[in-house]
Amino acid sequence: MKTIYILSRLLLIFMVGLSACSKSPVIDNATMLDGDQIFDPSLYNPVKYLVSAAIPNPTTAQKNTPVLIAVHGYTATTFEWDEFRAYSSSKANILLSQVLLGGHGRTYEDFKKSTWQDWQEPILTEYNALRAKGYTNINFAGSSTACPLVMDLIKNGQIGANGMKYILLVDPIVIPSTKILTLVGLVGPMLGYLDNNNTAGEEGHYYHFRPQETLQQLLDLTVKTRKDLQEGYSIPTGIKMKVYKSIKDPTADAISAVLIYKGLTNSDGTKVDIEMLDSELHVVTRLAGRENVTQHDKDIQTHVFDDMYKMIEQ
Amino acid sequence: MKKKLVLTVLFIVSSLCLQAQTSGSNDGWLGELKGGIRIQKTQKLYWENGFAFDFASPKILDSRVHLGLSYVTTRLGSAMCTNAIKQDNFLFSPGYFFRHQKQLQPFARLNLGYFHADYEYAIFDVLPNRAFLFSVDAGLSYEFRIPLTIHLGAGYNLNTGNGSSRPGTLFPVFYQMSIYYSILKQK
Repeated sequence: MKTIYILSRLLLIFMVGLSACSKSPVIDNATMLDGDQIFDPSLYNPVKYLVSAAIPNPTTAQKNTPVLIAVHGYTATTFEWDEFRAYSSSKANILLSQVLLGGHGRTYEDFKKSTWQDWQEPILTEYNALRAKGYTNINFAGSSTACPLVMDLIKNGQIGANGMKYILLVDPIVIPSTKILTLVGLVGPMLGYLDNNNTAGEEGHYYHFRPQETLQQLLDLTVKTRKDLQEGYSIPTGIKMKVYKSIKDPTADAISAVLIYKGLTNSDGTKVDIEMLDSELHVVTRLAGRENVTQHDKDIQTHVFDDMYKMIEQ
Repeated sequence: MKKKLVLTVLFIVSSLCLQAQTSGSNDGWLGELKGGIRIQKTQKLYWENGFAFDFASPKILDSRVHLGLSYVTTRLGSAMCTNAIKQDNFLFSPGYFFRHQKQLQPFARLNLGYFHADYEYAIFDVLPNRAFLFSVDAGLSYEFRIPLTIHLGAGYNLNTGNGSSRPGTLFPVFYQMSIYYSILKQK
């Protein structure tokens, strides 16, 4: 009898937990990206954001101009690389494609039902479109989750030596700083979603809520990336990689850089280039929308932009 | 540092064996000393394998409290012939075993110890690579009629990596299986 009582109590707790699954966040459509009024601007105006759309018939000179495909991280939008656009706009000799990840920059429901393969798809679409138009100097810059997405494309041979020159990774995530993410399969269905704690400046550019389904996708992606690196693989011949990693990153554990350094090699077997940065930020290249930005943060951003630009324009 | 720790573990185990042999026949201090292998899997991370010892005495709560020592490492697990991080865990585990005179004994333990990760390259010297281990685990112990005992358990690491001050491969949940052979046992 006592056993039945205990089991019934446990069942009740379980049912209460399950009931939380159906809970949806309260979305303010006027201010939140998650709603049905604010969308990423690249969806309205792809010509401004994608080189493949902006230049339908490139000249020979344009085909040989360096193109940088810049991709943002989980919950973010093209906003994450707007500062590099401003930086590079004064420099006429590179073209910038700001790619919006699949499932991002739209609504909470669109995000909730997306998979990491959906997130990845626009990267390959833009790369293939540029190759089809004859661009010969394509480069990639990714922040946070964009990094494992492009590393997966390299692993699968979908991004090859043909046309790709530099791959630049900013604060790649392989191991999350918050280890509780590893339990999302267990606690996620009970929570339903997590709050992103956006600042006022980030609201409208980053999803306010993280559906547990997408956290599970992020976990699947990072675990796959970690396993791939554990086995080891190489970058195709002719491509060079550099990783910039904040050493006190609150989102992507700095040990992610160790795993990349150990697991990913250049085609000749040498190690990829890694620079550890004395920063407490995640995605050191994005300062817009943050609170309490220091001069040190600005110096690091300028240093990384200068370093990236120097490599790409070569 | 690692050699010192290994020597310390060996010294403690040897001392326990000596103590058991000398006092066991006189006043029944020795209960049982078991040694064996420990296989550990961290949720969403590495396999870490190694060695474990378990000691119980009728003088310590009538053999209900066991004292364990273990060493598990990815060097004997995920890091063998792969690029996984080479890391070592040294654990002291006092635990309470229920139904201590039965073959099947549920147990709960506190695990205290030291963690060290070898990042191998000087460029990563800026990252934390050592930590104090503090975890709890619980599970079932089954003592066979032959001198073999198996422990199956799951644990939660209370001192996980946080992206800044602790090693990044300290994850929260782990599962372990230990298979012991009874080295010394009071009759």
